[in-house]
Amino acid sequence: MGKLLSNPKLLVIAIAVFAVLLVSVAGGALGASFGLGFLSGPIPFISIPAERVAFIGSYPLLNSTIMFWFGGLILLFIAWRAGRKPKDVPSGWQNLMEVIYEFFSNTVDGVAGGIPKAGRRFLALVTTIFLVVMIINWVGILPGVGSVGRIESIEEWAHHHLEEFEVEVEEAHPEYNHEQVEAAALVHLLEEHGDDTFVAFDGVFVPLGRGEQARVPLNKIITFTEADLHEIEEAVKNGDDLSHVEALENIHHDIEAGVVKSEFKYDEGGDKEKAYNFTGQTAGLLVPYLRGASTDINTTLAIAIVAMFTVQIWGFRALGVRGYGGKFLVNPKKGPIAMFVGILEGFGEITRTISFTFRLFGNMFAGEILLIAMAFLLPLIGIIPFMGLELFVGVIQAYIFAMLTLVFGVMAVASHGDHDSHAEDH
Amino acid sequence: MEADAIKPLAAAIAIGMGALGPALGIGLLAGKAMEALGRNPEAVGPVQQNMILALAFAEAIAIYALVIAIIILFV
Repeated sequence: MGKLLSNPKLLVIAIAVFAVLLVSVAGGALGASFGLGFLSGPIPFISIPAERVAFIGSYPLLNSTIMFWFGGLILLFIAWRAGRKPKDVPSGWQNLMEVIYEFFSNTVDGVAGGIPKAGRRFLALVTTIFLVVMIINWVGILPGVGSVGRIESIEEWAHHHLEEFEVEVEEAHPEYNHEQVEAAALVHLLEEHGDDTFVAFDGVFVPLGRGEQARVPLNKIITFTEADLHEIEEAVKNGDDLSHVEALENIHHDIEAGVVKSEFKYDEGGDKEKAYNFTGQTAGLLVPYLRGASTDINTTLAIAIVAMFTVQIWGFRALGVRGYGGKFLVNPKKGPIAMFVGILEGFGEITRTISFTFRLFGNMFAGEILLIAMAFLLPLIGIIPFMGLELFVGVIQAYIFAMLTLVFGVMAVASHGDHDSHAEDH
Repeated sequence: MEADAIKPLAAAIAIGMGALGPALGIGLLAGKAMEALGRNPEAVGPVQQNMILALAFAEAIAIYALVIAIIILFV
């Protein structure tokens, strides 16, 4: 303490750190309950499927795809830097890649039986999986990923959801014409999503300083009552001319406008009652331009399928069709239990793929939510230690993915016959 | 009870019960690894490596529960 006080530089740093801590505590969720909370934004919409950001022709470009390509570019760059001018005494990038290569080269040999070069066939895929998964995990936590994006308006949101409901209505009532289907789908949409909440945007930025309860309920953007919905439903059923139904017209108008129409109260009549007034502001949802590739279940499923498919190929190549296929389809003459075990083994391959998928997806998605939650509780600083944790988790998950692929591969190429021949030796 | 009212409860039960098993498993695993290290301190490398791998297996179960909880809450 004495040292701290006598050194003016240290003192200034200590005071600055303390000030930042104080500001972040007061500006976060903790301060919000005392009427401060000037840094906390409305809680973001957590979407499990990846969002579309653009269309290339008719191909929807997902935000997670962009990050996967970005990760691939980084890997290409590293590979190019490492292999550009190879030297006998490696340094820099070349050294890094050689360390990784040597580590995995030793690991695969160790797992595959301890003989040098025993794990050669596994090396390429295992190392690739490690590098790819690690890079996409790491680029996924870069600042700006998941927090910078465009505003999806109410019109887009409604259009997006209407498609699902339209398909449903069309299946149930094939006799409806296009307008009737649309109106019926709209009624379903408002019934199902009537409690959804949106963020009111003041210009382009996600507004800070409103607290997490400041999300606008849908009925403050689109005015409708149960009676309105009922009226529309009746009109659709009776086959009336829908252009004369006033309630439907109003709803369409509100959706097109997509602005907050009146003020609202959070927790009305409760202890936390608080009034908000965002009248006239555009309401919508934030669609991030970028999203960590491993927080999209399609990415992890794709890598898992590649891994498990290659494991099957290794098995067939090492043991032949009869040898490897015999693991799963056991001749019933050998006994019902053996046959049943074989079938179970076959299911095991499928469950391994699924558990691969969810292990990586769950870890990275949970990490993303953890970061979001910490940004709410302690803005500015709360996220820093968890960024470090995410870096660690990213490597560990990549390592696990690679190691499990290796272990499954070694199990696939090991034949049942090994045990029998040992037994005969004795 | 309404579906919305029971949602947080369902998510809490899912993650709470789901975390129980992995917590015990991770505790046992780490305890055994420490024991092994105490007996044979030179084996830090392989013991640690295998421990982390096994920890991730146990942890994955909790992550499955977490995914279920998130799906209940947000979907």
